[in-house]
Amino acid sequence: MTTFSKTLGKAKKKFSIFLKRFFRKKRTRIGIYGPPNAGKTTLANRIARDWTGDAVGPVSEIPHETRRARKREDIVISGANGHTVTIDIVDTPGVTTKIDYHEFLDYGMEKDEAIIRAREATEGVAEAMHWLREDIDGVIYMLDSTLDPFMQVNIMMVGIIESRNLPVIIVANKIDLPEAVPSRIRSAFPQHPVVAISGLEGRNTEELYEKMIQSFA
Amino acid sequence: MPHKCTKCGREYKDGSTEILKGCASCGCKKFLYVKESDLNRDVLEEKTIEEIAGESKEEVLEVVEQPRVKGPETKGSETKGTAAKGKAKKEVEVFDRVETIRIVGPGSYELNIDKMAKSDERIVSVGGEEGSYIIDLMSMAKEEPKPKRSKRR
Repeated sequence: MTTFSKTLGKAKKKFSIFLKRFFRKKRTRIGIYGPPNAGKTTLANRIARDWTGDAVGPVSEIPHETRRARKREDIVISGANGHTVTIDIVDTPGVTTKIDYHEFLDYGMEKDEAIIRAREATEGVAEAMHWLREDIDGVIYMLDSTLDPFMQVNIMMVGIIESRNLPVIIVANKIDLPEAVPSRIRSAFPQHPVVAISGLEGRNTEELYEKMIQSFA
Repeated sequence: MPHKCTKCGREYKDGSTEILKGCASCGCKKFLYVKESDLNRDVLEEKTIEEIAGESKEEVLEVVEQPRVKGPETKGSETKGTAAKGKAKKEVEVFDRVETIRIVGPGSYELNIDKMAKSDERIVSVGGEEGSYIIDLMSMAKEEPKPKRSKRR
């Protein structure tokens, strides 16, 4: 009798694993894109901490800290009305059209180290674009709201995302800084939802989570 | 992003990166975002795009060059002359180039993200000048599609 119940238990377990695999909900893979130093990793860490208690990667004031795309899977975000969305967050290297190691020397970096950083950052941009083409279902486009959003790279990236018909939320970050003008970002991209947040302080992230449920569910 | 040139009214479709080069007809760098419903308002109401820009509260988008990353030429006073010469020579815009990556020097790169978004194929240009390229053939050799299974008779 006991052996029978054991076998039955094992069979049940196997069957439930099979069912889970078979009916597993396809997760939405969200890429956090934007120019270097917009606060992409800070937001990725904030989302991961808020919903899983974990982090995604280190942050730094030196541009191109993230030089490889980093992924955090199975994050379940739930909204005020009980709706939820399961996402994988992909924190990508900052996309830019020019990378020069001299930029890093200003932060006290040695020349050799700066050259390696520039090389890795270049590979990082290529990797970020590869992800965008192959494996991303939705985009959070991060912008520093203390800077002018009308930069070629931003217009180009939003154009590329639109041409791929990917849902996009534009995030006007760094509203904790006095010189932040998120309205400038709203008027630059009137065709997309824009959420003004401070990833560092966690200000207004609830609104972003609600928008994510609306756009990515 | 349907945009219209503020000078001549030429229309640019959603997601068009063409506007980054300036208007193809008149070269103007200022564009207005126009809603689908207002697309022909300028013609119907016989107004200029600038007048429409004034009426609607949309901000006129001015395509700006991305500022060059600080390089050695901007630091040393001796090399200033050559930097000015370089500027005078009309450079091909990044997104208009044939190469995906231009290696200006060790640790200094210019990336064509528009091309990167389209494929993994890599054409690398070496040095600051046009006309010298390295083509990564391996990146272009795609895996052959698996032969389809022939139906059993």
